[in-house]
Amino acid sequence: MPASTAPRLLETEAGGAVAAARDLAVDALLELIEKSGLRGRGGAGYPLVDKIRAVRRNADGGPIYLVANAYDADPGSPLSRTLLTRNAGNVIAGIAIAAQAVGATEAYLYLHPDAVEARAAAEEALANELGVQIEIALGPGGFMGGEETALLAVLESRRAMARQRPPYPASQGLRMRPTLVASAETLAWLPLIVVEQARASTKLVSVTGAVVRPGVYEVTLGSQLGEILTEAGGASGKLKGLHVGGPTGGILASSRTDTRFDFDDLRVAGTHMGSAQVRAIAAGTCIVNEAATLFAYLAKESCAICVPCRVGTKRVQAILESTYSGLGRDTDLAWLDELGTHMERFSLCGFGITAPSILRTTMREFPDDYRIHIQEKRCPEGVCKPIRSRRYETMVQP
Amino acid sequence: MSLLERFIQPGESQLPTVSHMGEIPSGQPTTTIWIDGKEVTAIPGEAILRAAQRAGFEVPTLCDDEKLAPAAACRMCLVEIEGYHRPMPSCHLPVEPGMKITQASESLFKLRKQNLEYILSDHNAYCMPPCQVSCPTHIDIPGYLELMSKGQHVEAARLVKEVLPFPYMLGLVCPKPCQEVCRRGLVEEEIAICQCHGFTGELVMEMEQAPTPFPQLPATGRKVAVVGAGPAGMTAAYYTALKGHAVTVFDMMQKQGGIARYGIPEYRLPKVKLDKELNSVWQLRDTEFRGNQMLGRDFSLDDLFTQGYDAVFLGLGAWRSNELRVPGEDLPGVIEAINYLRMNSEGNPVPVGKGQKVVVIGGGFTTFDCARTSRRLGADVTVVYRRSRKEMGAHYSEVDDAEHEGIRLEFFAAPVRFVEKNGRVGGVEFQRMALGEPDASGRRRPVPVEGSNFVIECDTAIPAIGQVPNLDFFEREQGVRKTKRETVITNGALMTDRPGVFAGGDVQMGARTVIECVAQGKLAAKAIDRYLAGDDMARVAEEIAEEEAVPDLIDIVPYKPEEPQVRMPMLPFKERELSFQLIENGYDKNAAEKEAARCLQCVCPDVGRCHLQRLSLEHGLTDNRFHRAEPVDYHDYEYDFSHDFILRDLNKCINCTQCVRICRDVIGANCYGLMGVGYDSIVTTPWNVSLKYTDCVSCGACAETCPTGALMMRERDLQTYELDIVRCIYCGDCVEVCPHGALGETPNFEMSTYGRFGRTVLAKEELAVARTWKPSEDIPLDGHNSPRPPEIRPPGPPRWGA
Ligand SMILES: Cc1cc2nc3c(=O)[nH]c(=O)nc-3n(C[C@H](O)[C@H](O)[C@H](O)COP(=O)(O)OP(=O)(O)OC[C@H]3O[C@@H](n4cnc5c(N)ncnc54)[C@H](O)[C@@H]3O)c2cc1C
Ligand code: SF4
Ligand code: SF4
Ligand code: SF4
Ligand code: SF4
Ligand code: FES
Repeated sequence: MPASTAPRLLETEAGGAVAAARDLAVDALLELIEKSGLRGRGGAGYPLVDKIRAVRRNADGGPIYLVANAYDADPGSPLSRTLLTRNAGNVIAGIAIAAQAVGATEAYLYLHPDAVEARAAAEEALANELGVQIEIALGPGGFMGGEETALLAVLESRRAMARQRPPYPASQGLRMRPTLVASAETLAWLPLIVVEQARASTKLVSVTGAVVRPGVYEVTLGSQLGEILTEAGGASGKLKGLHVGGPTGGILASSRTDTRFDFDDLRVAGTHMGSAQVRAIAAGTCIVNEAATLFAYLAKESCAICVPCRVGTKRVQAILESTYSGLGRDTDLAWLDELGTHMERFSLCGFGITAPSILRTTMREFPDDYRIHIQEKRCPEGVCKPIRSRRYETMVQP
Repeated sequence: MSLLERFIQPGESQLPTVSHMGEIPSGQPTTTIWIDGKEVTAIPGEAILRAAQRAGFEVPTLCDDEKLAPAAACRMCLVEIEGYHRPMPSCHLPVEPGMKITQASESLFKLRKQNLEYILSDHNAYCMPPCQVSCPTHIDIPGYLELMSKGQHVEAARLVKEVLPFPYMLGLVCPKPCQEVCRRGLVEEEIAICQCHGFTGELVMEMEQAPTPFPQLPATGRKVAVVGAGPAGMTAAYYTALKGHAVTVFDMMQKQGGIARYGIPEYRLPKVKLDKELNSVWQLRDTEFRGNQMLGRDFSLDDLFTQGYDAVFLGLGAWRSNELRVPGEDLPGVIEAINYLRMNSEGNPVPVGKGQKVVVIGGGFTTFDCARTSRRLGADVTVVYRRSRKEMGAHYSEVDDAEHEGIRLEFFAAPVRFVEKNGRVGGVEFQRMALGEPDASGRRRPVPVEGSNFVIECDTAIPAIGQVPNLDFFEREQGVRKTKRETVITNGALMTDRPGVFAGGDVQMGARTVIECVAQGKLAAKAIDRYLAGDDMARVAEEIAEEEAVPDLIDIVPYKPEEPQVRMPMLPFKERELSFQLIENGYDKNAAEKEAARCLQCVCPDVGRCHLQRLSLEHGLTDNRFHRAEPVDYHDYEYDFSHDFILRDLNKCINCTQCVRICRDVIGANCYGLMGVGYDSIVTTPWNVSLKYTDCVSCGACAETCPTGALMMRERDLQTYELDIVRCIYCGDCVEVCPHGALGETPNFEMSTYGRFGRTVLAKEELAVARTWKPSEDIPLDGHNSPRPPEIRPPGPPRWGA
């Protein structure tokens, strides 16, 4: 099976979809969406129709909101930006259709402040009469700004900070009102579904790293990772690993090219869809260093409301850094595992809950990198430069 | 959107909490849930936590306040709920009918403990100073170090003298148990606590009138006899006199000081200075020293009572050397340690001189004093000890010094006999010892190695393996009993079986250290004062036990930029030969102040009330695995003590956001927010300005809700008002008539003996003392160093002291 079907989301303009949807009864529209099998593209893969139904259940005559998340939190995965610049019409039409489906009175297109081109494209598409008020809102920049509840906080003029769920936005979202939050990519499917009864079978993916043609591609959900690399011109050299899912995603050995790019399969493999970035890691890269760099990024980006994430990411970063600085100890691996479990069990939002997948996958797939750093006190690839002269210690207490 | 706009936040949109502590209102529809298998009645929609609390479960929380919308930030209240993939915050999740909840389980305990370990790894503060805990007298170490670092040395000395009258002496001879536990040692090196108080002690010694912790109280007309002018007796005399009782100190020796004078040699403690410091006792009214008066020879206990003394303190010390019980011990040339030191200190001739060979047996203070004295007299000295270096009772610095001064050390050897040569001792035969199997206590005892005997030749042998009190004169009719180890038996208030007779120091504990003896002297003075007041001594004993109870401590990671200890200048080893000159040259003012400023100030006013401390204790956080890494791993924030009522210490903030929520949603002033992003985020004011530049209305709500000591009310003294506590009947009339509501009878402030702003309202007579008290230096008064009136302590966190 080829990696991609003909690009649909990126190219196909489904003209007249908004009007067509308006002619449908809501139930019929929902049925269409259900049949399409559309799952949220934002990472978690929750069926869109269920979300819409949840919002509708909470309707009480007051305002209902819709937020299209086109934020692209992961700087390495500009999916929404690409989609908007290439096919803003579908996104905007999708918002209008979804607004109709949930009965939203106001909708927001939530963008990264740097997405200048995408914003211009969106503004142009917004010029059309759509029967719903759509406003463009800009996030604060930074990774956390894209998290579903953090973006609601931003729209309420607050700090981009996650909020405990439940209650889900479907019951208490923006300004405490039922709110549908869906990614721009998810919503862009709706015109196609309404006009062509399309099945939502493709997914945008950002292929980065050691490939010949890095970029955003549209591939069939369930393609193998190897096929996705081929789509991007193949690896540009020998590979060591495949980092899937963005900053909180796990790293698989490069031999795992048969892993299917699908919500469930990726989870089984120990990572997740996340920001749908597939990063090819070149041979000669030290994975301990990679993991440390990822945690350093996370420790800088955490919204800091919950302890496991704010402190945990920093502590894990430091342990990994001291490991590659030649200060590792045998007991550190079990310790990292313990800290990972805590972070996964106790964090407030997906950020902290998923971050340990980096630890889990790298320790499982690249045990030698850890072992050589810890036991032989050298870098398996000869690339790491020590950046710490002190590590965490247990001190004999007074 | 401007930064400011982002800061002004509308109410958090959260589930409405139908929260009721206490009874469920009648008519309220309820439902049933199960918590830890117990059936609990709950109100649908209320937070699980509320239902759990109502049912008596103590779910740990650090960011929950019933008045506020939940933030689910601290993650301490997470519980397991059937049907949920992961633990959920009970402060946030509403009750649904039939929920099955586990709030206490092994896995939750572990996860919560991990959470606390994280918090304590980024909490640059400490609850109670471990140094103060482990100092037997419990000097307020961070307190005096802070005063010293500000150059307020006399104030510092006064603070020390609250519990230790002789800081100079201890500065030279104390084995420094405080320094062993100093938390600065977790950063790089401990504080030179001991030398610092030595410096203040020396400084105030030059004053015409030694400063006292508080003015001597008016004469009570009661008389106390102290027998023994050693550290214990002199301390007891000092505090007894300060309390207004007349004190006579009797000693069998001609001069004061006990072992400190007659045992500890001049090169460690110069006697002229010792006298100067001890003389501070005689500067007090109604004090008197009578030398050459020996209890049991010149007078008896009965005599003292006949002479009108109301109480007696026995501080007789332990002057009789233990016998080795090996053959040849009575040979000429085998000399008694204490006697030897005493003769030498009195300037009498001793049987040790240049070129002679001396063997000293033992590993304690006495051993090394004998060895180093002999060395200074020109002898060739060997110290023999039956265990290893680290088991030696003497302070390690003393052992090291001895070695550098040219003394040979021989470990793992026990004496078997003294060898005779020409009618006197000519050597000592030893047997090698090896460490045996660990015994029941896990300690490996030395066991003799067969056939390993060897002889060390000598002209003089000095067994110095410890002392016991000499209580030969002690007859039963004096009504005082002794133990098999020849120590005096007392109760917890240091009173012997004979009412009014107290004992402390070596004579009560067996040979110990000066500081432990001082501590007992101090406690005895307190007990004597209470005895004279007619108090129930069993109750006093209980109180002392309570005060002396060792508090539990948790392990918090300290962080400061590294700065090594300021070294004490020492007399070069070359100059120590044949010289009894003092070996510690002492700090100068700059050095002392610099060293004192290194103190981490491990004190928190919130101790005992702090939820973080309590939970950490409950979860056994006695070791933290995140010490000692790089500066980027920790935070060291500036305090904000500029607000008139609220003290802010960001180092103690745990980002629970309770202050943010209460100030915004309840008070409406909106002074705080979680600022920054990532690990370096912190709850503070916009742009981290002083709280006094915000819209703060000084309500104190934030300080009240803060689970830690990050926000505290500033202590305030109501010194403008005189309140005669004896006559106040708490009618509240004053509250009613105050036109400004300054005494407002609101839930937030009540006129009571224990005011909202911390400090006890001073009773009239206490106030009189406070008023007459003049600080001894020209120092600006701020909350930290206000005049120190005697014995006025707010109830609250445990305090140690006289
Ligand atoms: C050589 C030596 C060195 C030491 N070095 C140190 C050190 O460096 N640091 C440290 O912390 N500890 C040291 N110690 C231990 C410390 O000195 C004692 O623990 C402490 O001095 C005991 O104090 P005290 O007041 O109980 O008794 P003492 O200091 O022994 O004083 C007892 C007093 O009672 C008098 N007395 C005794 N019997 C009678 C009587 N019947 N009638 C009248 N008066 C009597 C004695 O003359 C003496 O003045 C050392 C001990 C020795 C022997
Ligand atoms: S805030 Fe609490 S835990 Fe922190 S130092 Fe103070 S008492 Fe201890
Ligand atoms: S740092 Fe200061 S307060 Fe803390 S233990 Fe050391 S001397 Fe005591
Ligand atoms: S005291 Fe000031 S900062 Fe604290 S809650 Fe009141 S107004 Fe806010
Ligand atoms: S200062 Fe505020 S955020 Fe920090 S611990 Fe106290 S109440 Fe919580
Ligand atoms: S998370 Fe519930 S009390 Fe903090």
